[in-house]
Amino acid sequence: MNITRRELMRTAALTPGVALANTGEPMPKGKADACIFLWLGGGAAHIDTFDPKRRGDGKKVAGSYYDSIPTAVRDVKLTEHLAGTAKVLDRCALVRTLSHNIVSEHGAATNLVHTGRMPSGTIQYPSIGSIVTRELGTKSDKVPPYVVMGYPNIARDPGYLGAKYGYIYLTQIETGPNGFMRPPDVDLNREDRRETLLGQMRDLYAKRYPGDQTVASQAAISATGFRMAGPAFLNVFDLARESKTLRESYGGEFGQRCLLARRLVQAGVRFVEVSFNLNFLNGTGWDTHNEGQVNQHLLIRDLDQAFATLVADLEKNRMLDSTLVVIATEFGRPAAFDAGGGRGHHAEVFSAVLAGGGLRTGQAIGTTDELGMKAVDRKISVPDLHATIHCALGIDPGKNLFAGERPVPITDKGVPVRELFV
Amino acid sequence: MLIPVCLFAAATAQANPALTGPVRVEILENVPAKDPLDLSAASVTEIYQEPAFAFVRTPVKFSPNAFALDRSSPFVLRATYERSLPGGAYRFRMRARGLAVLSIDGKEVARSKAQPANTSGDDPVPPPPVRLEGNLRPAPYPHQDVLHSAELAAGRHTFVLTAVIGGKGLYPSPGELAVSLSRGEVLERLLGPDDAPFLTDSDWERLAAAMEARHRAADVTRRRETGKEVAAAWKARHEQVRTTLAAQPGPVAPSTQAPVWNAIDRFVGARLDAEKLTPTGLTSDLEFLRRLTLDTTGLIPTPAEVRGFLADAPAKRRGNAIARLLKSDSWADHWVSYWQDVLAENPGILKPDLNNTGPFRWWMHQSFTDGIPFDRFAAELVSMDGSLHQGAPAAFAQSTLNDSPMAAKADILAQAFLGQRMACARCHDAPFHPFRQKDLFSLAGMLAGKDLSVTKTSTVPMTEGARKPAVNVTLKPGEPVAQAWPFPSLASHADPNLPSKASLLSRAQVAALIIAPENTRFAQVIVNRVWKRYLGTGIVEPADDWSRAKPSNAELLNYLAREFAMNGYDLKHLARMIFESHAYQRKPVEDPAAEMGKPVKYFAGPARRKMTAEQLVDSLHASVGKDLNVEEMNLNPVGDRPPTQFLNMGKPERSWQMTALSNERDRPALALPIAQSVSDVLTTYGWRQSRQNAVTSRDDAASPMQTLILANGILGTRIARLSDDSYFTGLLLKDMPLSSVINEMFLRLLSRPASAEETRIFTALLKDGYAGRRVAGAASVDNVRKSDTRVSWSNHLSAEATLIRMEEEKKLRMGDQPTARLAAQFREKFEDALWSVVNSPEFVVIP
Repeated sequence: MNITRRELMRTAALTPGVALANTGEPMPKGKADACIFLWLGGGAAHIDTFDPKRRGDGKKVAGSYYDSIPTAVRDVKLTEHLAGTAKVLDRCALVRTLSHNIVSEHGAATNLVHTGRMPSGTIQYPSIGSIVTRELGTKSDKVPPYVVMGYPNIARDPGYLGAKYGYIYLTQIETGPNGFMRPPDVDLNREDRRETLLGQMRDLYAKRYPGDQTVASQAAISATGFRMAGPAFLNVFDLARESKTLRESYGGEFGQRCLLARRLVQAGVRFVEVSFNLNFLNGTGWDTHNEGQVNQHLLIRDLDQAFATLVADLEKNRMLDSTLVVIATEFGRPAAFDAGGGRGHHAEVFSAVLAGGGLRTGQAIGTTDELGMKAVDRKISVPDLHATIHCALGIDPGKNLFAGERPVPITDKGVPVRELFV
Repeated sequence: MLIPVCLFAAATAQANPALTGPVRVEILENVPAKDPLDLSAASVTEIYQEPAFAFVRTPVKFSPNAFALDRSSPFVLRATYERSLPGGAYRFRMRARGLAVLSIDGKEVARSKAQPANTSGDDPVPPPPVRLEGNLRPAPYPHQDVLHSAELAAGRHTFVLTAVIGGKGLYPSPGELAVSLSRGEVLERLLGPDDAPFLTDSDWERLAAAMEARHRAADVTRRRETGKEVAAAWKARHEQVRTTLAAQPGPVAPSTQAPVWNAIDRFVGARLDAEKLTPTGLTSDLEFLRRLTLDTTGLIPTPAEVRGFLADAPAKRRGNAIARLLKSDSWADHWVSYWQDVLAENPGILKPDLNNTGPFRWWMHQSFTDGIPFDRFAAELVSMDGSLHQGAPAAFAQSTLNDSPMAAKADILAQAFLGQRMACARCHDAPFHPFRQKDLFSLAGMLAGKDLSVTKTSTVPMTEGARKPAVNVTLKPGEPVAQAWPFPSLASHADPNLPSKASLLSRAQVAALIIAPENTRFAQVIVNRVWKRYLGTGIVEPADDWSRAKPSNAELLNYLAREFAMNGYDLKHLARMIFESHAYQRKPVEDPAAEMGKPVKYFAGPARRKMTAEQLVDSLHASVGKDLNVEEMNLNPVGDRPPTQFLNMGKPERSWQMTALSNERDRPALALPIAQSVSDVLTTYGWRQSRQNAVTSRDDAASPMQTLILANGILGTRIARLSDDSYFTGLLLKDMPLSSVINEMFLRLLSRPASAEETRIFTALLKDGYAGRRVAGAASVDNVRKSDTRVSWSNHLSAEATLIRMEEEKKLRMGDQPTARLAAQFREKFEDALWSVVNSPEFVVIP
C-alpha cells in the first residue's frame, strides 16, 4: 500500500463535486479575490452603529445613544453618525444577528472572531487571514499576501498552517511594514554598500561548502528577501502618490490606513486587516464602558468617513466586486447603560458588515428584538460568518486543511448566508 | 484521593545563612487581611539579613521538593536594626507602595496608606515623579514618601520597619520599600551602616541589581538545602536501578569499519557498514567548537573561549571543551526553550486565556540548573504541586479556556515522555494510533484525581444525513470514564511512593508508571529526544509519536537508554557520551535527500541544522556585548492588581524568558515596543509566542521574511549599531592594527579567523579613516532604554498613555544612540561591515 495516510484522509473526507462538505448542498461561490478586514477592537456597540433602536438616555432608559437615519436601503436604518455609510449601504450587507458566547474576555473573543474556533489545546487554529492566504495563494510575487495594520497577536497568527502563512505588519503608516523599510540612518549609499558586502560574504560562504544543500538554499533565500523589499512593494506605502483630495476624503489615521489597504489590494495583497485602535479619541476605543460612551460618536464618524470613502473608492477603481470589505468586532454591547453611562459587553447578538465582494448587497440579514438584545429570527454563528467570507472568496468553508496529518475543516461547520449570493 | 499529609507545613524559621548583613528581616505570614499589622497570630516563616533598609524582593519559599510556594497574601516584612547615632536633628524618609509603619525605639513615627486594589482601565496617567532636591531618586508612582523629623539623643537606637506586602487584589511584591535618613545634608543615605548607599538613581539601581543577584544565589542555596533529603532519596533509588540493570545483560557493542571514539560509534558504525554507507569526515576544531557551544549553552563561543580552546593541545581540545561547557550556567537556558515547546508552556502576562498555563519555565530552569535527574523532573511535573504563579509544577496544571485541561495535560505528558500521541483521542478514536477516546480520558482522570466525562466540545458531532466522519466516536459527551492507566504494555504497576511526594495519589501513580525502570520506553524516548536535538534527526522519528515507530538503529537506542537509566537519568552524562562520539563530531551530510535520505537516517553524519530562534537572538546580543534590554514582561508595574490577572514575568535576559505580548486588544498603550522588536525576530525564526499545544519539531523553515526582519528590523539595527555599549566600539577605541580588528570581528561573530579574501574585502572598506577614527574628548553615553513605568493597565486607555508608548516606539526605530567617540563616517562603514557579517547565512547555519 503506497497511499500515504494524508491522502487516505483526504479521500475519506472529500465528497464529490463542489458540494459543501458539511451539508451536501452546493456551495455558493462569490467573485472576490481579496479581502479588507476592518477590525473594531474592543467590541463596537451594534445598537449605536448598525442596528439602531429606540433612543435611550445614557442613564436609566436603555436604547441607542443616537437618533437613527434612513439609508440607501429601504426600511434599513443606521445611527445618525453613519451618514456616509447610509448613502452607500446598498453596496453593503448588514449581518445583524451574529452571535457567540464569550463576553468576559476581549482576548478570547477576538481570537474566536479571527479563527472561528475556540482553542482546543491540541492545535492552534489559524486566523482567517492566514486561511485566505493559504487558499488563494499569492497574486503577485512582488508583494506579500497578508498584511496587518495593527499589533501582532495570537489571533492573527497562522497557527498550524505555519509561519509561511503569517503576516507582515505595521503599527504606524509612516514607519512602513516591519522589516521592509531601511533603518532610518541607512541611506541608499549605505544600503548599496551593505548589500555588496553581504553578497560577497554569501558567495564566499557558499563556495566553502560547495555541495551543501542547506548552505545553498540559505544563501538563495537571503538574496530573495532583499528582492521582496523592492520598490514595487514599498511604493505602495507612499500615500502621497494619491491625490490630496482623495487622501483628505478618507479622513484621519484610520482612513489613511483604509486608503493604504486599497493600494495594497491593488498591488496584489490578498488579505489586509486594518485595526481601528484609536482609543484615545474617546478614552476607551470601542470598549465603551463608563465615560467612553460620551465621545463614542467621534469613533463612529471616523469609521463612517473612512468606510464610505473606501467603498466609493473601490467602486471607482472597479475593485469593489472583486474585493470583499468586512467590518468585524469581537462582540457588541447591551442596550442598557452601566453606572458610568457606558455599556458592558454583549455577544448574544451583534453586527458585522460585508461590502462589495460581488455579494447581493443592499439587505440586512437577521432581525434583533426591540432593544437589540436577542435575535428574533435566526442567529448567525461566527463559523457562519467565516463561511460566508470564504464563499465570497471562492473558498469551500468545509474543505479540510491539515494540521500535520490531522484533517481540520476550514470552518467549524459554518454555513454561508445564502441570501447574499446571487 | 488527597493524601492527608501536610507537605508544606512551615518549619520553625531559622536564619538564612546565605543572606547576611546588619539589618535583620523577618517574614510573617498568615496575618489578618483586615488588620494586617496585627501580628499576634502570625507565624515567622523566614529570617534573613539585608545590608540596609532597601527591599525590592524577598526570598522564595521552597517545599521539600524545592518547589516555589506562595506565601500568604498579604504577608508582612519586618526589618529591625539597631545602631548608634550622634545626637542631633534627623530627617527620615519612609518609602512604601502600601501600608508600612516605621518606629524608632518602640514609637511609631511614620505610617503610609494601604495601596488600593484597582479594577479600572481608564485612570489618568499620573504626573511624572517629582524630582527631589539633590537629585535624589523620586518615589515611583504610586509609592508614598512619609517624612519624619526628630531630635535623636546620642547613642543606640532601634529602628523597626513593618510593611504589608500583597493582599487582596494586589501583587505580592515589595515595590521599592526603603527608609533613608539625613542630618540636614541634601543627599540621603539609606538607613544602615555609615557606608550605606545613597538614595540616588545610580546607587539604587546598583543596589537593586546586587540584591537581585544576592537573593538569586541565596535562593539556590536555600532550595538545595531544603531539598537535600529528597535529592538523597532519588540518589538511593538510582543506585538501586543501577544495581538491577547491571545484573541484566546489556547490548554488546559490535565492531565496525567506521571511526570509533566511544561505544556509540560502534553501534552507529555497524549500521553504516550494513547499509554500505561511509561516514562523513570530522569537523574542523573550530566548527566543532561553535556547534558544541551552541548545543550546550545556546550561544556562540566568545573569542576568549576560542583562544582558550586553541591554546589547548590538539589532542585535548575537544575533550576539554566538552567538560568545560557541560558546566556552563547556560546549560539550563538552552534546555528550557526545548521543553517549553514540548510541554506547551504558555503563560500570559494579561488575564489568562487561550490555553494559558502558569510560568513553569522557572521551575524547569531551576531543575536544569540543579541537575535534577530527568526521571525526577518528569515525576515532579506530573505532581503539579507548588505555586502556580511562581512557576512551580502547579503552573503546568493550568489550562485556561480549555474545557478539559487534564485531557490536554494527559496528551502532552504522553507525547513528551512516552512518545504516545493522543491528541486525536480528544474528540474521537485515533484513526492511525492505537488509542481510543477512552484511553485519553482515563489517563486524564488519574491526573484530575477523579473520573472525568467527555466534554461537549471534545467530540465530533454527527449530523443526520451529513457525510459520515472518517473517524469513530466511541464515547458520548457526558459519558463518564473511569480513571485508569492506559499503557499497561509499557508498565503495569509501580510503587507510587516516590522520593518526591505528590499531594494527589493518582498523580503519584501516573508518575511512578511513567518513570518505572521497567518502562524502558521512558528512557528511550528521552535519549531519542536528546539525540535528535544534537544530531538533527532522531533514531526514532517522529520523536513524539512512536506508535508506528521503527528505530533506525535499535541497538543504539537500547544502549543509550540503558546507559541513561544506569547513570541516574542524568542528562549531562548522556550529552557527554553523545558529544564525545565521532558520530556527533562529524561534518553534516551535504545533501539530506541523497541516497533516499539514508546517510542522515543512519547517521553517516549529522543533519545540517540552523540556529533556533533563541540561539540566534541570544548569540547576536552576546556577540556585540549588548543585553536584550527589553521591558519587564509586565502590564501592571504598579502592582495594584493580583497575579491571577497580571503576571509579572520579569525582565528577560535570555530569549526563553520572553512571553506572548498579549496585545489582542490592539491598543498602543499595551504595547511593549522593545520586547516586540525581539519577539518579531523570534517568531519569524520559528519561536512560538503562544504555545497552545505541544510541539517537538518547530516549523522554522527558511523564509525571505527571516532575512528581512534581521536586515531591516529594530533588533538587527541595534546589533549593528556602534553605541557606547557595543563591544566593537570598545574594540575600535583600542590601539590595534586594522587586520587584527577584522580578525577579531570574525572570531567573535563567526568563531573563526578571517580568510585572506575576507581580510582583503574589509581592509579595502575600512582602511580610509581608520587612523583618524577616534574622536578625542568625546564622552560615552548610557544606552539603557527605559520605558515609562507610569503607563500601566489602569490607564492604558488614556490618550496620554497611548502617546507615550507611540513616542517610545518611534524613538526605538532610531536605534541605540551612536557613540560620539568614533568619527561618524568611519563608524557607519564599520556598522555596515558588522551588518554584513551578522546577516550572512553563515551566522545562522550551524557548522
